[in-house]
Amino acid sequence: MKFIKKIKNFLDKDIKEDEYALVDDPIFGKVSKAKAPDKWVRTTCGYCGVGCGMYVGVKDGKGVYSKGDPKHPVNQGTLCPKGLSEHKMVTAPSRAKGALIRKDGVLKQAKWDEAFSTVAKKFKEISAKHGSKAISVISTGQLLTEEFYTLGKFVQLGLRTNNYDGNTTLCMASAVMGYKQTFGSDGPVGCYEDFEKADVIMLIGANIADNHPILKLHLMKNKKNKKIIVVDPRKCKTAQMADTFLPIKPRSDLALINGLCYIILEQGWEDEKFINERTSGFKEFKKHILANYKPQDVAEITGIDVKTLYSVARDYAMAESAMSAWTMGVNQSALGTDTVSAINNLALITGNLGKEGGSPMSITGQCNAMGTREFGFTSSIPGYRDYKNDAHREEFANIVGVDVDLVPTERGYAYPQIIDAIDRGEIKALWVVATNPLVSYPDQNRLRSALKKLDILVVQDAFLSDTAQIADVVFGAATWSEKEGCYTNSERRCNWAKQAVEPYEDTMSDFNIIKEFSKHFEGVHDMLYKNIQTPRDAFEEMGRVSKGRLCDYSGMSYELMEELGGIQWPCNEQYPKGKKRLYTEEMPCPTSDGKAKLLPLDWKPLSENVCESFPLILNTGRTVEQFHTRTKTGTIGILNALAPEAWIEMNELDAQKLQVKSGDRISISGNRGRVDNVVVKVANTVREGNIFVPFHFNEQLINAITLPEFDEKSFEPNYKQCAVQLHSQKVPNGIVLKQAEIMGEIAYQREEKDVENLATEETTIKS
Amino acid sequence: MEPLTKNTPLESFINHKNETGMQCGNYSIDLPELKEGEQYRFHFDATACVGCHCCEVACNEQNGNPDDIKWRRVGEMEAGQFPDTLQLFNSMSCNHCIDPECLKGCPTNAYIKLENGIVFHDDPNCIGCQYCTWNCPYEVPTFNADRGIVTKCHMCVDKLEAGQTPACVQACPSNAINIEVVNVDKWLNEDMAKEGVAPHLPDIEITKPTTRYTLPELPEGAEFKPADEHILKPAHPEWPLVFMTVLTQTSVGAFLALFLGQLLYSLGFNLPKPNATMAFMALLPAAIGLPLSALHLGRPAKAMWAMRNYKTSWLSREAIALGAFAGIAGLVWLLYLLDFNGFFKLLVEAIGVGIGIYGIYAQSMIYRIKARPAWNRESTTKRFFGSGYVGFLLISLALLASSGANGAVVLLSVTLLAGALQHLIINDEVNFYKYLSKENPLYYQLNRTKTLLDERFKKVKTARVHSLRLFGVALPLLAIVFAASGQSGLALFVVTIATIGAFASEIMGRFLFYSTVVPLGLAGNFFAGNQR
Repeated sequence: MKFIKKIKNFLDKDIKEDEYALVDDPIFGKVSKAKAPDKWVRTTCGYCGVGCGMYVGVKDGKGVYSKGDPKHPVNQGTLCPKGLSEHKMVTAPSRAKGALIRKDGVLKQAKWDEAFSTVAKKFKEISAKHGSKAISVISTGQLLTEEFYTLGKFVQLGLRTNNYDGNTTLCMASAVMGYKQTFGSDGPVGCYEDFEKADVIMLIGANIADNHPILKLHLMKNKKNKKIIVVDPRKCKTAQMADTFLPIKPRSDLALINGLCYIILEQGWEDEKFINERTSGFKEFKKHILANYKPQDVAEITGIDVKTLYSVARDYAMAESAMSAWTMGVNQSALGTDTVSAINNLALITGNLGKEGGSPMSITGQCNAMGTREFGFTSSIPGYRDYKNDAHREEFANIVGVDVDLVPTERGYAYPQIIDAIDRGEIKALWVVATNPLVSYPDQNRLRSALKKLDILVVQDAFLSDTAQIADVVFGAATWSEKEGCYTNSERRCNWAKQAVEPYEDTMSDFNIIKEFSKHFEGVHDMLYKNIQTPRDAFEEMGRVSKGRLCDYSGMSYELMEELGGIQWPCNEQYPKGKKRLYTEEMPCPTSDGKAKLLPLDWKPLSENVCESFPLILNTGRTVEQFHTRTKTGTIGILNALAPEAWIEMNELDAQKLQVKSGDRISISGNRGRVDNVVVKVANTVREGNIFVPFHFNEQLINAITLPEFDEKSFEPNYKQCAVQLHSQKVPNGIVLKQAEIMGEIAYQREEKDVENLATEETTIKS
Repeated sequence: MEPLTKNTPLESFINHKNETGMQCGNYSIDLPELKEGEQYRFHFDATACVGCHCCEVACNEQNGNPDDIKWRRVGEMEAGQFPDTLQLFNSMSCNHCIDPECLKGCPTNAYIKLENGIVFHDDPNCIGCQYCTWNCPYEVPTFNADRGIVTKCHMCVDKLEAGQTPACVQACPSNAINIEVVNVDKWLNEDMAKEGVAPHLPDIEITKPTTRYTLPELPEGAEFKPADEHILKPAHPEWPLVFMTVLTQTSVGAFLALFLGQLLYSLGFNLPKPNATMAFMALLPAAIGLPLSALHLGRPAKAMWAMRNYKTSWLSREAIALGAFAGIAGLVWLLYLLDFNGFFKLLVEAIGVGIGIYGIYAQSMIYRIKARPAWNRESTTKRFFGSGYVGFLLISLALLASSGANGAVVLLSVTLLAGALQHLIINDEVNFYKYLSKENPLYYQLNRTKTLLDERFKKVKTARVHSLRLFGVALPLLAIVFAASGQSGLALFVVTIATIGAFASEIMGRFLFYSTVVPLGLAGNFFAGNQR
């Protein structure tokens, strides 16, 4: 019978008209009939830091549709390809199905209680033997803020270890420290509306086309005769939008910004009134810049000619309003913090702070990197409080009702220091929450050998990530759409993310995991979570904790967030609907004198530059189809097919030297490792001598090569520049370094035409 | 203001107009009423597109299509030197052409050019022959194996009619895709040549597409390199069609030989009388081949629908003509079996020859399409007729078997001539690729065909050329020698080998014909290619 049926179906196939038909949905109009939702749940996207409002369509308890909320001010109905397919990753077969414990070398499904007591027992043993600080926690920017708050309290006050940091150190830490240096506190000052209102938009190390495509919407809305300046060593998709593209040499951005400041100060284009009223440190700053960043020198360092430097400086300084936006090109650098402050300097001397279209603006990579900055209890005490400030500690202890002595007096180890301490044998236990160091951390070989020294590795994740697969215990967590709370986006907008479906299989929300786990530590649950039964309770406590602070949540409620399409903190009695921009005229900076600091900052050359063995500079980054380490997007067929593996992007001149063409396979080596069998993409989007490789992929693990050099202030890794060599089949020894170039750099001479150009520039400006 | 949680009626979305006036983001769309001579069309702004693929995902989500069925694709190209590198994206679904080749070629009339200009595919009328997927120079229609039919972009016509925004337009964060109204005459006469073109797209004259492009300033003489240049995969081998075409061509060749024999015999030439075995030999290949062709359909049971569009579709004409030919060949065999002689039989045979020749001509015209440069050559028609020499061999075989060497030399000579002709045609074809000129406007596609022939299928190509020489020319010549010297046994043996070998050679040749064609189309992605 089956055979006959098969034959019949072969000869006269069912064309499945019904399955492929459209049907009228009362909310969204025509939708696919096969997955017409029973209900739509309004929520927020859980991928990147743009923070798009969206609706999840739910059919029979399963997410079937993701649609952009047309009323949400961030995305106005649009979503990026990841957001549009977000419901699909929730039921991916690579999800962890609940608690897992490694038995006889294999991870086996376990009862939650057993998993919790196993880990609690081990943690207590380690704590008794080596001290509580031998336990460390590395979390993420992916949880909901309520979960960060709950987790932070548990780690710092319950487990009593301050060796707690987030993967946000790998992405936003430099922005945090840069803001702190300049403005006295963390907190992005601008908003997306600035893209729409600015006359000049400078994108520095921010490939928004690949990483934050929805921001393009705000650029498109800008109907002014705007000028877009893109600063990037790569002619990336974003650089295609540029009116002026500045193809700087790798990591010369700090010199570039200082150079622009030089020209502005030299020409007297600065905003004197603003500088006098709103900034401090101008004198030293000016002296430092004028002494060290002459245009000729900057041209040499950056590879941007003097004439272009003058024209960009003029565009920026003369604009009614100018905005600088940056992401990882700036942050992921050993000079990240200072580069952020340098961008702030440029904004300050041109008066671009707290006004429409005028701001320095960091764009966040994760949906809730901001949440952990505000309430995560990692680099600061919740509510942007300082460990070193006793009043802050006291204040916090009083609000949450714990003994002030429990609140640490200093920040513990940052992410890279934790890895070092594990390697030294000082830290014995690591609890990783919703991050995947086995793909994302630099210098993988060293990381992996360090992790082997742990007594216990616990991984809390929604997916069986590469790191989860080597864990001793896995806490399989619920993910986006399965839990409730809020996310803060790049522009300080807190968005409510609602639960649409039940947690997958036997998973639990991170909020519940932490609370349940805390019950295995005597007295901890009662001390920390007596009044916190639901995320909403945590949210209310966060409101009290942040009241009067810069990141003030006290005026917010979930309902108000929903009504307004998110709220930009501070939200309190003074700003009941939040505030678009920080440090407007009436709002002083949280520094001692209320003024923003102009800081003298120095560019330094790469610590690992090209050499004979490694004549190429490797740059790493993202592609629009994938997110982070692909635990989510790797499961979505339509996205993964467009970028299923890493590639090496190289200039055709380098390809000629290596005798390779697109599609060939090649090896890449550096001081710390080697990756074989990576596909070549010949593209003149990179300059000769530079190559680009996306970092998402665990098979072609480019972080086996990247440099474990960290910013001294933010501890952020210098992911984007290290020296490498390529080995093709025909040229196995790779590229031979051209010596002449180096000679040229030493013997730079100002040419007559440069001087002339300068002169013309000046006359044009004066007239 | 009422919180959206409490109710989110469609009304609120339809009334929602963001201040930008952009179509993107909005779930509702305001389009002016179409006036006489106007239609809807896409506008694509390549200066706004950042290649984010939102449109592709939104389209599949809207239409419930599986991951590998993409109605909209984003092509990528690059030109220039760093730092003046220009990356160009082209998001394309259907161009809702004014002169759609898909519609003209569709044998079942499953395509409808709606009054609003949308080229609509009427799913229930499709039999999955996939001829439209060959005909469209943009490779827009896609075969959905799960449904056994072809499907394509319909500009979300149901949504448009309800005032709702097509999925791709709604999803684009750059407002790069819009729906516009176009006056067809004005477009054809004034604007299409300037605004309807983009790098790496086929000649607009083929189908007269309506999509309007806004392009960045292109540097003069810029050579755009498609991102998928390195991906070269053979086309579908179409095995049922390989056999069907060779078998029907063999049949028509054999039938011609039969007819010529009958004619000469009737005219009183001293030649053996054709017999029922020969007539059966002429019928057999077509009788096997024609049903085989139904196997390549998504819905084989609906094969007869292929005859519906004889007005514009060569596929319908082929189906009708070769169907009729097979019927006549069957009738002729019956007449031989009944030993029916006389003028009527000759007349029926003559009609059969005429219809058969027309059938093979129609069959070749199926492939003479602009979207597939390697097929769109006179040599296709010549080769299809040329394959008929196998039919001559078949009749020679029957003749030698039934009548011995008596009179076989005449037929074998004609057979040799036919084989030699096919050899010449193929030789020309080999030389065409050998001396392919870079000036050829279709160089990109033809050169890729050449690469497939010379690299991927080198062995098959060599075997094809040599086997044709051996079985189509050398062995028939040898058979003539044997037959002329009265060695009918040896002649029969040689012709048997030649027939089998020649058939195999033609099958190889036809396999190469299908596998090495490189269609026109959109530039593709680095990994996914052009996703067709």
